[in-house]
Amino acid sequence: MDYKYIEQLLDRYWECHTSEEEEQILRSFFAQKDVPAHLAQYASLFTFMKEAQEERVSDDFDDRFADILAEESLRHDVVRTQARTIPFRQRIAPFLQAAAAVAVLLTIGGAAERAIGGSQQEEGTAAPVVANTYIRSDRVAEVVTPVESKNEATAIVQPDSMTRTQMGVDAQVKEN
Amino acid sequence: MKEISFRNDVLPLKDKLFRLALRITLNREDAEDMVQETLIRVWKECQDGKEIDNVEAFSLTVCRNLSIDYHAKLEQRNVAFDEDIHDQPDTTRSPFETMVDRERFQMLNALMNSLPEKQRTAMQLRDVEGRSYKEIAEVMQISESDVKVNIFRARKAMKEKLKR
Repeated sequence: MDYKYIEQLLDRYWECHTSEEEEQILRSFFAQKDVPAHLAQYASLFTFMKEAQEERVSDDFDDRFADILAEESLRHDVVRTQARTIPFRQRIAPFLQAAAAVAVLLTIGGAAERAIGGSQQEEGTAAPVVANTYIRSDRVAEVVTPVESKNEATAIVQPDSMTRTQMGVDAQVKEN
Repeated sequence: MKEISFRNDVLPLKDKLFRLALRITLNREDAEDMVQETLIRVWKECQDGKEIDNVEAFSLTVCRNLSIDYHAKLEQRNVAFDEDIHDQPDTTRSPFETMVDRERFQMLNALMNSLPEKQRTAMQLRDVEGRSYKEIAEVMQISESDVKVNIFRARKAMKEKLKR
């Protein structure tokens, strides 16, 4: 059998010119039993490399490591809750949120106040609002008073009883 | 980037890490300690959500650095590394070694372990683990040409000793 290829590979192996695949070929070649005498001196090296791949951790390694990992896991959780650094932006976020909420409330409040104020004024001049509810008559008297005075309209109010009054409408009807 | 599963991607590396640690510490018990420490380190990195491009190379690098540090500590305590090997009784041998030609394995193992750390680590990763020069360079944090030089010297030394 011609061993030229193997000899060439071996020469290149010592010079570090072999690829991973070629080195695998050498290991496989030297793993067989009938290696020619002139190459036999190197056979032990390649079989040693192959055997060295079989080294394993001891059988109880996994169990021991599971315990260590469980302990470490507890420690890690504690460390994380104790020493987590919070960036400045994140720290002031709740205050910013609160400030934003207050600002929104103030804006809405301001707008609502203005809107209500405006409608009350409109009510005063044209009185188009229909208050179609049961109101205590003494309050109706209060509400209706400005309408009466400005539009010279009269609302008939019976002070002692509950009256269903169509405010404004009565006034407008009377106006017409 | 791909999410790393500690159980599926990291834990199965234990034997590879062990072989590397053993090549550096030259003691099975110490090598297992190094593997445990490496796995915990990588687990923490995963927990903290750190991005690891090549988890295998990263783990091997951590393992090697821990093993080298351990070696340095041993030396500080004035315990010679070689003495340490000779002091090791046969109880530290793996069951595997009892099956194979023990004498020959031990002889070559001692030969390889007598090389400087860089040479034996590079040789371990190339000739035992079958890694590329690029990967070895990444693990050892040196250039590819330096990896080749170390492997070249290691092979040459082994060849010389085998010839005798």
